[in-house]
Amino acid sequence: MVAAGIALSPLIRHSDDQALLLLLGGGGVLALCVGLAARWGAALAFGVGLLGAEQAVWLARGPEALDPWTPLYAGAFLLVAELAWWSLEQRVPAWTERGLALRRFVTVLLACAGGCVMAALVVIAAGLPIHGGFGLELAGVLAATGALGVIAAVARTHVR
Amino acid sequence: MTRAATPKLGAYAALAGAGLLAALVLGRPELAALAAPFATLLVVGLSLAETPRLSAVLELETERQVQGEPVEVELELRSETPVSRLELLLDLPEGLVAETPNPQLLRLHAGERRELQHVIRCERWGAHLVGELVLRAHDPFGLLFFEQTLDLRQPLKVYPRGEALQKLLRPLETQAFAGNQLPRTHGEGIEFADLRPFVPGDRVRRVNWRATARRGEPWVNETHPERNADVVIFLDTFAEARRRGESTLDFAVHAAATLAVHYMREKDRVGLVAFGGVLNWLTASSGIGQLYRVLDSLLDAEIFLSYAWKGVDLLPVRTLPPQSLVLALTPLLDERSVRALLDLRARGFDLAVIEISPVPFSPPGEQELDDLAHRLWLLRRDALRSRYLRQGVPVVEWREGAPLQAALEEVRTFRRHARVTRA
Repeated sequence: MVAAGIALSPLIRHSDDQALLLLLGGGGVLALCVGLAARWGAALAFGVGLLGAEQAVWLARGPEALDPWTPLYAGAFLLVAELAWWSLEQRVPAWTERGLALRRFVTVLLACAGGCVMAALVVIAAGLPIHGGFGLELAGVLAATGALGVIAAVARTHVR
Repeated sequence: MTRAATPKLGAYAALAGAGLLAALVLGRPELAALAAPFATLLVVGLSLAETPRLSAVLELETERQVQGEPVEVELELRSETPVSRLELLLDLPEGLVAETPNPQLLRLHAGERRELQHVIRCERWGAHLVGELVLRAHDPFGLLFFEQTLDLRQPLKVYPRGEALQKLLRPLETQAFAGNQLPRTHGEGIEFADLRPFVPGDRVRRVNWRATARRGEPWVNETHPERNADVVIFLDTFAEARRRGESTLDFAVHAAATLAVHYMREKDRVGLVAFGGVLNWLTASSGIGQLYRVLDSLLDAEIFLSYAWKGVDLLPVRTLPPQSLVLALTPLLDERSVRALLDLRARGFDLAVIEISPVPFSPPGEQELDDLAHRLWLLRRDALRSRYLRQGVPVVEWREGAPLQAALEEVRTFRRHARVTRA
């Protein structure tokens, strides 16, 4: 349902490329459904990616101004991904810990709320009145590469 | 403890990377904002992930149990680190089934000690090892999992559940020791056998006064002595017919256990010969110790494929005591055991063959040729049975679901009309 909401929202918010957005959004939701039905993780990632692509197209063809709803979308994306991967996990009867599922759900919600805050910080930083240029562009590239590098480094130290 | 990444970690990294890249290419910071939660979750999740340090102690309620009965397993789990999600699987061998949920999911705090109880049902007889524990812990965000297998195995012997027998097969000959069998001979005992005229030397308390008064001369009672018998259970382990987790060997072991328990209850000496790819024998003896030895030996009974030709000559002499009753439990599938049994009969042993019928295990095929082959096979089996009957050996077919008592009664009926001939 959250995925369907994400897929429909750019269509509701008027765009010139309704067909393309519908194709990407519908494809994303379909891929998610296939992933859940077939218990196929790659299809889930592809589905979330297609929903992201729909947002990217909408933003690229949309107004120049920053979208104030982006943090909410970011949280919703994470919620979709978390719930989808949770559904894929093997069912284990948690009779010894009845509150385990509820605790996990709260953790997911908190993670999504944290994600919203992080996205809001990014949006606020992007909205700061700093004039662009080659230097800022380079800083952006370095920041993105650095972020991926940090993820890779942390993953390398924790994953055999 | 081994550590590995879940597919979620790779997917999130790819989504975060794609979002950041798209933000740069399209020049839209909103896409970086969309990627930010995924990237943050990865960094936070991986930073918080800690290798769990777990230990466990496992205790079985009992080391011996009868088939079909439950056994409680107590498990004490200790964790030095917090574990947000721990999947716990008690890996049970074939023949044991968990009645409590298995695997279980639980959460442990640092330094916590948790006691868990599993109930397992012993579905199949055998000597099992219980206690292989598979632990899989996840980090709070499910990005990594840690796996460990703890070998806490302990032996659990599951004895076959016997069935009640009203009457056992009487051996033709008895032994010299006291028991519950009545030999055909007369002697000192309490079971009335016959009347005969008094002869000098007879004790006065043996005089039957009623018969004496009727006949006008002293007559005395004759009695049967109470003797024991030697019974050898001959288990054919050369071949078996198998279907859906049960086999002719299962039925043979059930029957052997039932017979051993009942004959020992009658104070008889019971021995065991597992005649197959691997020879296994127990010399005849009596008592509760021998009963456990026989049952433990039955648990080891397995079919070992062997092409070696084996005869009864290989068996130690004391394994088959003279004048013992040999009860053979066989599916009559292997020529070696068929020959060995005929050889035993030729050596004068009191032999009875209980055929564990393999026919229900191999239904006829759907093709006409298969059906013909099946009928030919059945005819050959009939011919084999006739061969035994010609030698004076009772052969009874015991099928799944039928009581063992019925098979014993059939042997008794045969023996009532057939007599042992001695050359």
